[in-house]
Amino acid sequence: MVTETTTAGGMQRISGALHRRPGLRLVLLLGLPFIWIVGVYGGSLVALLSQSFFTLDDFSGTVDRTLTLETWGDLFTDSNISIAIRTTVMATAVTIASAIIAFPIAYYTVRYAGRRLRAVFFILVLIPLWSSYLVRVYSWKLILAREGILFWFVDKLGLNFLLDGALSVRGIGGPSLSASALGQFIVFVYIWLPFMILPIHAALERVPQSYLEASADLGARPFQTFRNVIWPLAIPGIAAGSIFTFSLTLGDYIIPTIIGDSSPFVGWAIYSYQGVSGNLPLAAAFTFFPIVIMGIYLYLARRAGAFEAL
Amino acid sequence: MIKRKHLGLRISTWAVLLFLHFPIAIVFLYAFTTESSSFKFPPPGLTFDWFGVAWNNGEVRAALSLSLRVAAMATAIALILGTMAAAAVWRRRFFGREAVSLFIVLPIALPGIITGIALRSAISIGGIPFSYWTIVIGHATFAVAIAYNNVAARMRRTSPSLLEASADLGANGWQTFRHVLLPQIRPALIAGGMLAFALSFDEIIVTTFTAGNQQTLPIWIFSSLVRPRQRPMTNVVAMFVVAITFVPIVLATRLTRNTEGTTG
Amino acid sequence: MIKRRFLALVMLVALVAAACGDDDATTGGPLTEIGEGEGAVSIVAWAGYIEEGAVDPAYDWVTQFEADTGCNVTVKTAGTSDEMVALMTESTDYDLVTASGDASLRLIAGGTVQEVNTDLILSWDKVDPRLQEAPWHFVDGKHYGVPYQWGSNVLMYNTEVFGDTPPTSWSVVFEEQTLPDGESNVGRVEAYDGPIYIADAALYLMSTHPELGITDPYALNRDQFNAALDVMRTQRDVVFRYWHDAYVQMDDFTNEGVVASSSWPFQVNILQFGGAPIASVVPEEGATGWADTTMLHANAPHPNCAYKWLEWSINPTLQGDLAAWFGSVPVNLEACTGNELLTDAGCDTNGLGNFDQIHFWKTPQADCFGLGGECVAYHEWVTASVAVIGGR
Repeated sequence: MVTETTTAGGMQRISGALHRRPGLRLVLLLGLPFIWIVGVYGGSLVALLSQSFFTLDDFSGTVDRTLTLETWGDLFTDSNISIAIRTTVMATAVTIASAIIAFPIAYYTVRYAGRRLRAVFFILVLIPLWSSYLVRVYSWKLILAREGILFWFVDKLGLNFLLDGALSVRGIGGPSLSASALGQFIVFVYIWLPFMILPIHAALERVPQSYLEASADLGARPFQTFRNVIWPLAIPGIAAGSIFTFSLTLGDYIIPTIIGDSSPFVGWAIYSYQGVSGNLPLAAAFTFFPIVIMGIYLYLARRAGAFEAL
Repeated sequence: MIKRKHLGLRISTWAVLLFLHFPIAIVFLYAFTTESSSFKFPPPGLTFDWFGVAWNNGEVRAALSLSLRVAAMATAIALILGTMAAAAVWRRRFFGREAVSLFIVLPIALPGIITGIALRSAISIGGIPFSYWTIVIGHATFAVAIAYNNVAARMRRTSPSLLEASADLGANGWQTFRHVLLPQIRPALIAGGMLAFALSFDEIIVTTFTAGNQQTLPIWIFSSLVRPRQRPMTNVVAMFVVAITFVPIVLATRLTRNTEGTTG
Repeated sequence: MIKRRFLALVMLVALVAAACGDDDATTGGPLTEIGEGEGAVSIVAWAGYIEEGAVDPAYDWVTQFEADTGCNVTVKTAGTSDEMVALMTESTDYDLVTASGDASLRLIAGGTVQEVNTDLILSWDKVDPRLQEAPWHFVDGKHYGVPYQWGSNVLMYNTEVFGDTPPTSWSVVFEEQTLPDGESNVGRVEAYDGPIYIADAALYLMSTHPELGITDPYALNRDQFNAALDVMRTQRDVVFRYWHDAYVQMDDFTNEGVVASSSWPFQVNILQFGGAPIASVVPEEGATGWADTTMLHANAPHPNCAYKWLEWSINPTLQGDLAAWFGSVPVNLEACTGNELLTDAGCDTNGLGNFDQIHFWKTPQADCFGLGGECVAYHEWVTASVAVIGGR
């Protein structure tokens, strides 16, 4: 009995002390995650970026640790810049397409589907995240092949001219869907779609029913309610999902090697510079592209409220 | 009556779901093909043989076990650290709050390859041997961000007056946390935990750099896919993973759905 | 306040990380005798090089070794030479690596591998004399590894398309032309996407433009290098895609209508085994090839088991089985007779007689391998290859 009171008293005193010292509470709560994220992650980022100020010794292939801007000079070549542009264009296209495809399903699930159906949809959207990314990408290779599944369907439906037309467009077409930018685009959209659906779904769920009722009470037609109430509240969700699709496309080095016409992407370039030629300084400098691009994107996304909706 | 409405939306919803699941169906189909290296369409024959081969393969079991252990540890770390950070940031305005939010989200906002090579350089500079823990560190780094997002979002929807009421009723900080706050954020913990577990389980990009000699399941699949003689085995493994994760997903969905509802 | 602490912490971590620099590898020379096995050995190898019967029980050359020596073998598969270099340089987990000539010299120069005492390898004399002092592992009078297998890249083609006129020249993958089936080759051929492939372009130039004076496709001066890049730029418009891993390439031949490409006998064997209409040839210009050497890490954690494996790796049975599996040529010529899997004709089929026409992979160096003049170094090959594949 006495012990209980003392323990309870002890907890009381500690929590009281913490309540009175918000600063201390903050440090205690934030301390561990802080050390992890800033120390481990931040420290290794800094270590990586510092590598970009070294150079690679031609002969022995080891890193020469004298500070220089030479590697940065090697970075801004025509070919590297075109890699960055190509990747950014693809990431943008993938993001826009994902948003367009994801919105209707998220909207329908939240607004019109019954409880049961909503759970089913949720499960169906989560399952792809659990089935191996690699195996699914390889199966897309079969689906998009010249003698593969999609072609078989198109052939049966007599829509060959559509497919040939799409493939003959310069820049996105190619000899076969699986060796074209168009095919790559389809696979990227497919793989990142759940990442876009979930945040939009979450954002739409947060729209209180009372808002919609109030809007109707004030005389708005369904479309007006959508445009003026629902859509602005959904934007943070779209922005949050777009952070995922954009950054994942920017850094992926696996899909471009399986599907596509072998044109280099940023993720692949970084991967091959650090691995292929052991040129860690150049790889580190190359990360400048995705970091800056994502930095800009994060700033824009924050303006759209994405951080409240992640 | 209501069923005829929103036909366009319904069609597009089912179309998207079909799009999401069609390749998975193909994966399942080719787990039965008789070909062993290159896949043709349609498959020349069907067989159950690959299931036996996969079952007997020790490498697969070891990789599966490692993936599960890594994901479990990474998720646990993420939930703890993520909740702590979310609690710190919630309703307190302190200098650098925005920076903290940004920094925690950085591992998922920056492409995985950057995280991967940054951690790898740090690990080799520090002379740390690659092991289970280096993989966990890599995974926990982005998992914390996911847990943080989910918990912080949920906390934003929780009224602070609940905590004040609890304190008024005489509960100390710990009791308030356990009996009031925790039940409120439970759905976020489950959702965040599930997502973090899923992402860790299927992670290949960062793991390639932090794993050394170890093989998680995605790494095993990747190495199998360049050893062309047993390709359907990877399909079998993928199918198996979907099957066994079906139950936890359903459970988790149940648990989060039941506590749905907006406040205010 | 927090901001300042944040900065300080970050800088502290970075300083500490930078301060804990690399340990210098100190080796007091190679082993002078093989001691007790340490119970394990780990090897970085190409896919298919070290089989334990997992894929086909007839192909197993590990189980016996483990039983005889008690050294448990673990294999880390790498897809490219460069991955192998990276794995060996960045960690001390691995004992051995089956390095091709474009990795071996980098490993030697970087101090990542140590000299091998060939006196401790009892079967050393059985190694093909042409390989015993090959320049990609024999430097300054020291041996840095034991040869394992060699082979050449081949031109793999679809027999249905080429019919009675199989291709005889690499031009079929470098330049646009009409194939025997009446269709253009554009979008139906492939090329390897490694930077070392520039040497194949240079090899092609040796026949088509002898005035450039190329004698060694890996030692290219600036003009020769640029000419090779031009060949590759032309090729860029002809290829379906660049292949990187064997599986993707085989898929392309099976269901994408690709009909010709540079390849390895490994893929040819597998496709033929699956019944596809595939054959291969070494064209008249010759071919690039690879000669792999098992090398020992400078800080190998299990040196005794490693030496035991080195000896085991050149026994005739293993050599024959591996050659049959991979489509390569053994380094121990005793393997060419009496091996069931390889058969007595196997060595010739796999190209034993082509040794002199093959230009083995080696890492291009700025000093033209000591022959004088100025050559383009490997890291430029990488950036140039990335640029060409990217369309520049």
